Amino acid sequence: MYGSTNLSEEDAKRMNTTVEDSDKLEAFESRIARGEKIEPSDWMPVEYRKQLIRMIEQHAHSEIVGALPEGTWITRAPNFRRKLALIAKVQDEIGHGQLLYSAAETLGKTREEMMNDLLSGKSKYSNVFNYPANTWADIAVIGFLVDGAAIVNQTINSKGSYGPYCRALERICYEESFHLKQGHDNVVYLATGTKHQRAILQDAINRWYRPLLHFFGPPDKMSAHSEKLMKWKVKLASNDDMRNQFLDMYVPKIWELDIAFPDPNLKKNSDGIWEFSDPDWDEFKRVINGGGPCNAERIAVRKFAEEAGRWVRQALMNPSEKYQIPLA
Amino acid sequence: MKNEAIKDLLFKMADDALIIGHRNSEWTGIGPMLEEDLAFSSMAQDKIGHAQALYNILHDTFGEADANTLAFKREEKNFKCCQFVEQPIGEYDFSIVRQFLFDHAELIRYDMLSQSSFLQLAQLAKKVKGEIKYHVMHADTFVKQLGKGTEESKARMQSSLNYTWHFALGIFEKSELENDLIFENIFDGEEELKNRWLEKVTSIIEASGLKVPATDESKIVYGGRKGFHSEYLKPLLDEMCEVVRSDEVTAEW
Amino acid sequence: MSSLDPRVNRLDFKKLADGNTHTNSHLITWEVFHQEKRGKQVVHVGIVHASTPEMALILAKEQYARRGKTTNLWVAKTSDVYTFNTEDEDIFETTPEKTFRDPAFYKVRDRIEKFQNKNKVAL
Repeated sequence: MYGSTNLSEEDAKRMNTTVEDSDKLEAFESRIARGEKIEPSDWMPVEYRKQLIRMIEQHAHSEIVGALPEGTWITRAPNFRRKLALIAKVQDEIGHGQLLYSAAETLGKTREEMMNDLLSGKSKYSNVFNYPANTWADIAVIGFLVDGAAIVNQTINSKGSYGPYCRALERICYEESFHLKQGHDNVVYLATGTKHQRAILQDAINRWYRPLLHFFGPPDKMSAHSEKLMKWKVKLASNDDMRNQFLDMYVPKIWELDIAFPDPNLKKNSDGIWEFSDPDWDEFKRVINGGGPCNAERIAVRKFAEEAGRWVRQALMNPSEKYQIPLA
Repeated sequence: MKNEAIKDLLFKMADDALIIGHRNSEWTGIGPMLEEDLAFSSMAQDKIGHAQALYNILHDTFGEADANTLAFKREEKNFKCCQFVEQPIGEYDFSIVRQFLFDHAELIRYDMLSQSSFLQLAQLAKKVKGEIKYHVMHADTFVKQLGKGTEESKARMQSSLNYTWHFALGIFEKSELENDLIFENIFDGEEELKNRWLEKVTSIIEASGLKVPATDESKIVYGGRKGFHSEYLKPLLDEMCEVVRSDEVTAEW
Repeated sequence: MSSLDPRVNRLDFKKLADGNTHTNSHLITWEVFHQEKRGKQVVHVGIVHASTPEMALILAKEQYARRGKTTNLWVAKTSDVYTFNTEDEDIFETTPEKTFRDPAFYKVRDRIEKFQNKNKVAL
């Protein structure tokens, strides 16, 4: 009756079972349908666990890789306010990574295994972080629009079914709202500033426009649907819906600063749906498969961090302590 | 004279904090483990915050330029930081040992200043006491665990200690104006600080299974307090000020 | 590699180890509990990877207490925390029905008013 929740053996057994117990599956699905959360020690379908690990892990990777483009300007922020805000923001991204890796760990994959899969290219991270931050204005645009896009995605995902992921996302969304505010502040200063400041902002918007449209993934008509993942509340909104929500919230906030998007076809229809030119989905695929401008550097830097830090982690280790899956 | 002496003290403290904070922020996002990445980054932010608070005193009390101007628009030769804080971050053993040696001096310096007759500084010292205490706790925990960790970590920690030792002693480079500070009960002086520091770090180094390097007076790296800097400060400032210098002086960021 | 990030340009990539990935050299996890204010409950907030309680506390501070108010943090090794099995959640099932333990169960106002009306009790 009492027991510490060492799931490893049980987990391994579950992972290898492909035929789901129909009673358990029904109980699991009706729990989700009632709006209840799934907790780490609950029975869950193998596929649910697999998809969640994949998704949370990718999200975690995106956070720690996402720290790199912004880190590009960490030593060059132009005043105390921006310097402190940028360091704190990049720090938050690492913190978010920590929270998300922890949530994924509760599903039975260790942080180290996830890190290894990131470095080997086996698991992916968000494409948007494979683009360079050429100027200081990129920091403003990333802080406002990339974080804005991330909030749309994360707010929706925080209504999902897996307890630890939802808890992590709630905290992340709270911190992201700071990112968004400081990003907007930065954008506004540039937009209302000198000719040079407006020019670098416009240039950054021009370069980030397509990656931002790519952020939510291919159009619904091009992407494989999974009824099951929707039913299990692993995926909660379609790519197009999220993209539309993002455009609706943020395009006007750029336009009001008399800054343009590099797309003459960008407009809102009378039915509330945004239209835009084809953002080149082939490029999206190229970047996902390693062909983006910064893929190689991002992985090389993460590899550096892992390897250069290994002696520290090894020195801290107590070999007599056995790793156990965290509780929540 | 007294004001000049206080300004000198404020500038060297502020410049130390700014430059070490700036250096340590370089680890943000590439630290040795996620949790430590966060901790080290917070401490870098704290240091930059201390610098800002000290520049604010210079501005408010002594009519110097505002904090942003002092930090981002001052010439290298007018910086008063010690050369220790200017050094690149190196590998983690160097950065953690630098943090350990520097922060023990900070903790004692601020403790001394909390009794200062110069009230603005006494108030600031009381305010940041907890932050610096945490920095020292953090450094001590790492020094102890890495000093007693693997063969590799022991060797790295000892070699970084040996390498940094004479840089660290440069923190206590005396100012010609220091006697005014001591006389006016503003600050008890670098010698007093150094002695207390030596006692403290010695006990922790020894408790960590490491050896305190022998001091060779002739090797102590002085100069920073008088505006003579290592080859690293100028490029650091050029990099830090790149955005500011990219536009008109009046541009607001 | 030439990077837009001056920090990256200063990293010594040549000094890297073998480039292989390693397994089973990860630290154990600690469950972290946070108390916002004196008098408030101490609440579970997440985990950290660390080797000793001192290290876990030092690291938990900046992950779980870098914003807002904090009075204290607690850490416990994950393996030292015990829970019921999920299958036994049914032991709690009927507890909410035991309303005789709840203050709201005891409602006498109706009875008093009925009594007063019936007996014309003057107030």
